[in-house]
Amino acid sequence: MGVISTIFGFCGFGVGISSGLVIGYFLFIYFQPTDVKNPEIRPLVERDSETLQQMLPEIPLWVKCPDYDRVDWLNKFLELMWPYLDKAICKTAKNIAKPIIAEQIPKYKIESVEFETLTLGTLPPTFQGMKVYVTDEKELIMEPCLKWAANPNVTIGVKAFGLKATVQVVDLQVFAQPRITLKPLVPAFPCFANIYVSLMEKPHVDFGLKLVGADLMSIPGLYRFVQELIKTQVANMYLWPKTLEVPILDPSKAYRRPVGILHVKVVKAMNLKKKDLLGASDPYVKLKITEDKLPSKKTTVKHKNLNPEWNEEYNFTVRDPESQAVELAVYDWEQVGKHDKMGMNVVPLKELTPEEPSVKTLDLLKNMDLNDGQNEKSRGQLVVEFIYKPFKEEDLPKSFEESQTVQKAPENTPAGGGLLVVIVHEAQDVEGKHHTNPYARILFRGEERKTKHVKKNRDPRWEEEFQFMLEEPPTNDRLHVEVCSVSSRIGLLHPKETLGYIDINLSDVVSNKRINEKYHLIDSKNGRIQIELQWRTA
Amino acid sequence: MGLISGVFMGMIFGIALMAGWRHMMRYRSTKRIAKAADIKILGSLNRDDLKKICGDNFPIWISFPVYEQVKWLNKELSKLWPFVADAAELVIKESVEPLLEEYRPPGITSLKFSKLSLGNVAPKIEGIRVQSLKQGQITMDIDFRWGGDPSIILGVEAAMVASIPIQLKDLQVFTVIRVIFQLAEEIPCISAVVVALLSEPKPRIDYTLKAVGGSLTAIPGIADMIDDTVDSIITDMLQWPHRIVVPIGGIPVDTSELELKPQGKVAVTIVKANNLKNMEMIGKSDPYAVVHIKPLFKVKTNVVDNNLNPVWNQTFELIAEDKETQSLIFEVFDKDIGQDKRLGIVKLPLIDLEADTPKEAELRLLPSLDMLKIKDKKDRGSITVKVLYHEFNKEEQLSALEEEKRFLEERKKLKEAGVIGSTMDAIDGAASLVGSGVGMVGTGIGAGAGLVTAGVGTGVGLVGSGFGAVGSGLSKAGKFMGRTITGHSSKRSGTTTPVNSVQENGGAKPVQ
Repeated sequence: MGVISTIFGFCGFGVGISSGLVIGYFLFIYFQPTDVKNPEIRPLVERDSETLQQMLPEIPLWVKCPDYDRVDWLNKFLELMWPYLDKAICKTAKNIAKPIIAEQIPKYKIESVEFETLTLGTLPPTFQGMKVYVTDEKELIMEPCLKWAANPNVTIGVKAFGLKATVQVVDLQVFAQPRITLKPLVPAFPCFANIYVSLMEKPHVDFGLKLVGADLMSIPGLYRFVQELIKTQVANMYLWPKTLEVPILDPSKAYRRPVGILHVKVVKAMNLKKKDLLGASDPYVKLKITEDKLPSKKTTVKHKNLNPEWNEEYNFTVRDPESQAVELAVYDWEQVGKHDKMGMNVVPLKELTPEEPSVKTLDLLKNMDLNDGQNEKSRGQLVVEFIYKPFKEEDLPKSFEESQTVQKAPENTPAGGGLLVVIVHEAQDVEGKHHTNPYARILFRGEERKTKHVKKNRDPRWEEEFQFMLEEPPTNDRLHVEVCSVSSRIGLLHPKETLGYIDINLSDVVSNKRINEKYHLIDSKNGRIQIELQWRTA
Repeated sequence: MGLISGVFMGMIFGIALMAGWRHMMRYRSTKRIAKAADIKILGSLNRDDLKKICGDNFPIWISFPVYEQVKWLNKELSKLWPFVADAAELVIKESVEPLLEEYRPPGITSLKFSKLSLGNVAPKIEGIRVQSLKQGQITMDIDFRWGGDPSIILGVEAAMVASIPIQLKDLQVFTVIRVIFQLAEEIPCISAVVVALLSEPKPRIDYTLKAVGGSLTAIPGIADMIDDTVDSIITDMLQWPHRIVVPIGGIPVDTSELELKPQGKVAVTIVKANNLKNMEMIGKSDPYAVVHIKPLFKVKTNVVDNNLNPVWNQTFELIAEDKETQSLIFEVFDKDIGQDKRLGIVKLPLIDLEADTPKEAELRLLPSLDMLKIKDKKDRGSITVKVLYHEFNKEEQLSALEEEKRFLEERKKLKEAGVIGSTMDAIDGAASLVGSGVGMVGTGIGAGAGLVTAGVGTGVGLVGSGFGAVGSGLSKAGKFMGRTITGHSSKRSGTTTPVNSVQENGGAKPVQ
């Protein structure tokens, strides 16, 4: 009897608990509002000390640490922009998700999946401080402290077997401290080639996931489990030193390395116009390649000749055969006054076939304006021979990735030896008594090298590379670097001055392969010099 | 019995479970929302908030200036600068050189940068302020300072004379840049950007100009002319309310809202002046008045000979774009042989006017608008004006816009024909100055044609003192320069600006 009663009891309990759950569900959860309200934000001044106490752990880093900068202006900017950004993001997200959903649905016998609501809420992400690190490398490092406590409302309605279920994500909170590195820096907009993002700590993620109105995340234990799972997953992918790399532009392109050589042979000119009052013109040719900073090259002057023959050869380095062009202009030499231009023409490099010599007879024009009527007048012709030789793949300088790390020494390096590379980047606060036209002088094993002079500058930037081939590692050697200045005039009064020097022990370079550091100059007030050293072995 | 009690117990347990769950839900939800609210509020703290939080332990490294400091941005900028400079040099060269070519005045055969380097010193951002003055717009004011060491050499080649390279050095720019972002609901969420320089505090742009291989000061007044030209261009193109509107790619939007448009019309009647200062040795001053809102659109009255209490009673109409910030500037000059002297200047802010209500005012003339530079406190007399401000409706606005456009185009055409020049572009101005220099060197000295004489003191060159046959393009360039100076205001005290002809007839004719 007791046994049956107990069994009934259990059965009853089972029935009771399920019906109780259903009743409870309708009683407590079903009629809960599903919309997301804007949180009421009370001004801080009105709060009592108790709520302030609760707030303390969330205090922005810029309050706590002086090395973080406040970026409230950015927060304000984001806040003002957020309603627009929210709409734009949601629209894009919907557009992206639609085709994916349409593709996936038939596999799972689901009738439809659609966003019932999709909004990221009214609260924008905030930055609670920004910290930057200054290194001697060509990179920018910043660490914003990002906190996004949002009130989004993402409801997905799923219809299957005639039933409808909704999944709702609310109260998403993401706190993270990413490190954003922009490197390498390149001299072309936007001035960096890659963005690297990595997380310095495991991010904090919190959210509510409502399945048919009931928040799964509030089941004790489940939330912790899910959060841990997300944290580990994200950490596995992006926690420092793992990084997310976003390429912006190809660094090798930004640097515009030379890709070939153009040989130009100015052969002759014919039927030039007489420009001088007395006698014939004295023509010479000026050659220039566009987008290059080098001064133009000139042929010799052929006196009193309207059909001059030069047969002179010139070489140009080509950086971009698609857009570059050679400008040729014939001038009339004058003893006094300005040289008259007798005509010109431009040959775009893309018209030339690589490796193939081509002789062109160019009509000389007044200018390159096609509509100028003056161009119809004959000004004579110029005969020029071109050969464009692109560098072979193997001649090309090593790609950028490799140059970042230490390159291999060249083939002919003696065994056990290597190549010592000294790159003099820049100096700061160097000052001479009478003049400051600094250049760096490098002394190594009696060999002397010099950088170019920078005129009247206390913070010169040289960016010059010097190489020394060595038989054995320079473990016990020193490198002597001296910053000097010479007067820009013929200075009998104030001859050469030394602005500071430094001796660098090279044993560190041998063990580290690469060192890039700023050194304080000796015999200088505040002077510093940045030198990069590399030890390349075979 | 067992069944019922079981069902009952189970039901209570189930309901209790659900209730518990709901409690957990509510608890967690309120906690999250509270945190969200906290974080939101911590995103924009002010001094009082922080005082409240920190109490006595207020961190001393924190200050709350109007313009928020951006040390981190400056650090990054100084690091990035060599690369930005390199990239910008290339872009400037490629984009400005064709422009130069286009604006090249007659008489000059080539105008190119022979050197362009932005220097080693990075600009500094002293502070940033973000505000929203209008729905759907973000206004960002950047306190920008650049004491740079750029070296820009402009190679100028003119016919007949050897080239004159002109070098710009030691540039200093202190200004507040206002950037307005027009928001849109599509990525990248910004449909247009408006850039302008705030007029208050006044932008300060200093630089040194040097002729390479020769001194620019050898040509008197030329440095001042360039200064004044650049200054008036900046006032006229960039200084708030004038602005540059840049639509951001991808979103076709109507940016006309952002452009500066004629907002109203000011009918100014210059009635008379009283007790003007006598500037002449013999007799009395020969005064005339000049009034403008924008330096590009100046009007002037007749000259009343030998009178210190002249009555003009002349009416002009001027277009106003921004009632809030613009002002009417009245100047009274003494017509003289050579340089006209300024008897006084006074400003009437448009904001003081009520729409469609005539207002008569007697304004005291001042030696200069820059209060700091006023040295003598002597009475300079007064000017009586009647002003009527009329706000445009839509149609009137459009027609006024058309009118203005037509006027500018006409002026441009005239300029292209080499007859006159107007202040259209900074480089243009510089170029025309160079042209003038060339004109002088080429034909000026001795010939007396297109002669540019220097004004007294910091005077600006005046064209046309040497009347006569002005045939060559070179002397045209000289005149061009003269025109350039006459078309702008002068900011410095003691500088007088002659307005040689009335510009209401669609641009000035050359002074012959």
